[in-house]
Amino acid sequence: MPQRRRNLINIIAATWVLLAAAGDIALNSLPLPPGSATDIAGSETQLIRILAMMAWPIFLAVVAGLVFTLWVNRVAPAAAEPGAAALRGNSRLQTTWIASSTTIVLGLAVFGTITLANDTTVPAVAHAEPNTPLEVQVIAQQWYFTYRYPSFGGFESAHLVIPADREIEFHVTSLDVTHSFWFFAAGVKADAVPVHDNSVDMQPLKIGTYRIECSELCGIWHGSMSDDNAQIVSAGDFTTWAQQQQQLDAPIMKYLPPYSHTYVPAPGVYGS
Amino acid sequence: MDAVAVSYPPAAPSSLSRTLHKWGLLLGVIGAVLGFLLGYFLGGLGFTDTNSNGSNIQILLAYSLSAVGFLAGMGFFNRLIGSLLGRRPPTPADEAFLHGEGAGLSRYFRLTVDHKVIGMQYVVMILFFLFAGGLGAMLIRGELLSSQPSYVTPESYLTLVGLHSVIMIFMASAAIIGPLGNYFVPIMIGSRNMAFPRLEALTFWLLPPAGLILLSSVLLGGFPTGWTGYAPLADQSVLGMDAYLVAFGLIGLSIMLSGLNMITTVITMRAPGLRFTKLPIFVWGVFITSWLGLLAAPVLASVILMEVFDRTFRAALFVPAGGGTPYLWENLFWFFGHPEVYIFIIPAFGLIMEMLPVFTRRPLWGYRVAVGGMLGVGVLSFFVWQHHLFVSGIAPALRPFYMFSTEAISVPTGIIFLVALGTLWRARTRFTVPMLFVGAFLFNFLIGGITGVFLSDVPADFSLHASYFVQAHFHYTIMGGEVFALVGGLTYYLPKMTGRKLNERAGRRQFWVMFIAFNATFLCLLAVGMLGMTRRVISYQPELQGLNIAASISAFVLGASLLFWLGMIIWSLILRPALATQKNPWESLGIEWQLPTPVPTYNFDTVPVAWSLPYEYDTGQPAAVPGRTQPALAGGTPT
Repeated sequence: MPQRRRNLINIIAATWVLLAAAGDIALNSLPLPPGSATDIAGSETQLIRILAMMAWPIFLAVVAGLVFTLWVNRVAPAAAEPGAAALRGNSRLQTTWIASSTTIVLGLAVFGTITLANDTTVPAVAHAEPNTPLEVQVIAQQWYFTYRYPSFGGFESAHLVIPADREIEFHVTSLDVTHSFWFFAAGVKADAVPVHDNSVDMQPLKIGTYRIECSELCGIWHGSMSDDNAQIVSAGDFTTWAQQQQQLDAPIMKYLPPYSHTYVPAPGVYGS
Repeated sequence: MDAVAVSYPPAAPSSLSRTLHKWGLLLGVIGAVLGFLLGYFLGGLGFTDTNSNGSNIQILLAYSLSAVGFLAGMGFFNRLIGSLLGRRPPTPADEAFLHGEGAGLSRYFRLTVDHKVIGMQYVVMILFFLFAGGLGAMLIRGELLSSQPSYVTPESYLTLVGLHSVIMIFMASAAIIGPLGNYFVPIMIGSRNMAFPRLEALTFWLLPPAGLILLSSVLLGGFPTGWTGYAPLADQSVLGMDAYLVAFGLIGLSIMLSGLNMITTVITMRAPGLRFTKLPIFVWGVFITSWLGLLAAPVLASVILMEVFDRTFRAALFVPAGGGTPYLWENLFWFFGHPEVYIFIIPAFGLIMEMLPVFTRRPLWGYRVAVGGMLGVGVLSFFVWQHHLFVSGIAPALRPFYMFSTEAISVPTGIIFLVALGTLWRARTRFTVPMLFVGAFLFNFLIGGITGVFLSDVPADFSLHASYFVQAHFHYTIMGGEVFALVGGLTYYLPKMTGRKLNERAGRRQFWVMFIAFNATFLCLLAVGMLGMTRRVISYQPELQGLNIAASISAFVLGASLLFWLGMIIWSLILRPALATQKNPWESLGIEWQLPTPVPTYNFDTVPVAWSLPYEYDTGQPAAVPGRTQPALAGGTPT
């Protein structure tokens, strides 16, 4: 390889690394969504940061190339001079371009798959007591969410409350049309489909009050199908709350359908 | 039509049939009204209504028969009925009449089979729907100035969102292939017309009824589903949903037939010597797109028909309580829906690569890889649809494959960028208005493509799916990509189509306003999406109001810049009749620019035979010279 080309490659590589590093520093100072309130939100934030770090130099390189070549060699619109030397292609450059973009894409796909696999398997490390996941059912209907806690007798709540120290297993379903359960800060989005159980696991990390909304168009009041009062609380607070709710709901439990992963929509919800 | 010598007894042209034909548009309207009444009457005959929302058998039949009545009035069945009655086949004089030869402006207002007339008809229709959909966008952005409902009710907001999206989808699926594809593909391949001229007219005339039926949904209570029409919400909706179904069905039919016609034309009607390796890159774009349309649109038509069955006969194909599943709609719809977005963008790829050599004055850098890139995008587009279902609860094991196939599409798309950059590299680029739009296309589509990689990555998609990030992403690709290519392309081709050039200085200013306002709007919307704003909502988090106001104001400027562009077209084409006729203002070597302006009805007197690629700017040799036979060019042996 001629010295000149090797130098060029070194310069490009060094610029690339510098740009990526600068981008990463800039991104680190930004509160990137969705944040770190849960384990999967944390890994999504991380992934978005890495994607942005990789995309930024590519974006900049293409734009810089475009602006450079357009600006440096521009001529007036009506200029009649002949064009520069005709170049019909360069198969080595084309091959390099295709090979490198394929490599980047393959790398991204493998990386995404690994992140996905980590997110969707329950971590092997032992948790604090108790380490079995807490099952919470999310029932969507036009135009609100209801939450059921099967490990506490299947009581229902209008607001989501979950403990911070346990793996949570959401089971999302719907009673009428397709909705989507979006717990933004937790990095959880799962469609609520009638007669289908859509399950997502996650580990809450930060106590606080968060927003939940519906992210699939579900009819007139779709825009209002949100709740700003979803809570991640400490384990003690959660147990107190759950037991209290269980007692409060005890008299009406016999009117609720028995707990199940899916429910048959009531006749007439689609118009009859 | 080739003038083949056939000996029929010279018959006087039937004056009755010609009169009927001339008044086709009026008869079409009468036919539509009669068809509507007939359908409404038939639908009321003893059918038990199964939908509580009203008599939707009546409305479906009324809409369908009004479309048939319109086409009958226009004269689409005249030839069919004539041959059933044993009338003589059309003479060359009849064909010339049907081509609108010598008919002046009136040929634009009736059934005409000249592809250039149809191209101009498409220009007007596309602009009408672009601005109708744009008005919807302005109303939506106006409403979103406040985080709570202000001047629109939640119900009409959803109708507004639905109409804006379906009108724009409808407009975008024909935006480039309709006006420029129909007008220039036959010329670029050295043909005198399309393979099926009547079918070509049909694909156009299916669209005005589709558009009107769609708009009429407002009178029937609108539809709440957006353009994706998700069932079972669609099963639940009022009669406006039936307008959506009939209109979208007609659009699907039009895409399918147009694809069939283009494919046949490009395969069979190429001039001698014009091999596939010498096809102008725009023709390649249209050809590949046509395959996508032919293969994807039937799926749309069938899924629409299934929803019609669901709504009228309670077929419960998408209703879980009856044994159906919403996933059926989602999969079939997106199996059409994803190739559909490439139906929008591949002609734009072709168009910008067609313009690049003209303004850089040099050959396209890497013609073959460019064709390969578009082919790759086209083939891969059929293998990515489940990325719309990443959070829907599909089997998790399917996700990595669709993540990979979606990311893989950036490889052939990247090739288009490589070809564009290679062609531009150190070229002495002429900064005309179309060239500015080519540059903007590359910039906007780059952002559109990069944001697409974020969405294709499943874990990142958990956060970004169905948010404004997605909305801004596809506006970057379709509006920033296709619409910018359309504005640039029309600026480039209008001088050929009409003989008038748009004002260069006004165009330059319009471009900068449009480009900056577009980016300001959708960068804000990318940000609100990342911060957690859902699509299609009328009320949102109050803390996002600032960004939304910024987006809305930029959107108003964007709308104004497009209105200004419309004003420029009207000014140059209609208000300034004294402007000089333009033959080849860009000094292009494409064969379409070697023809006289206006292009004669049958394009070529004799078919041109010897061809090279039309990008030989170093020798200045045109692709072929129409109207006379040329000695063989290098590599262009006549076959």
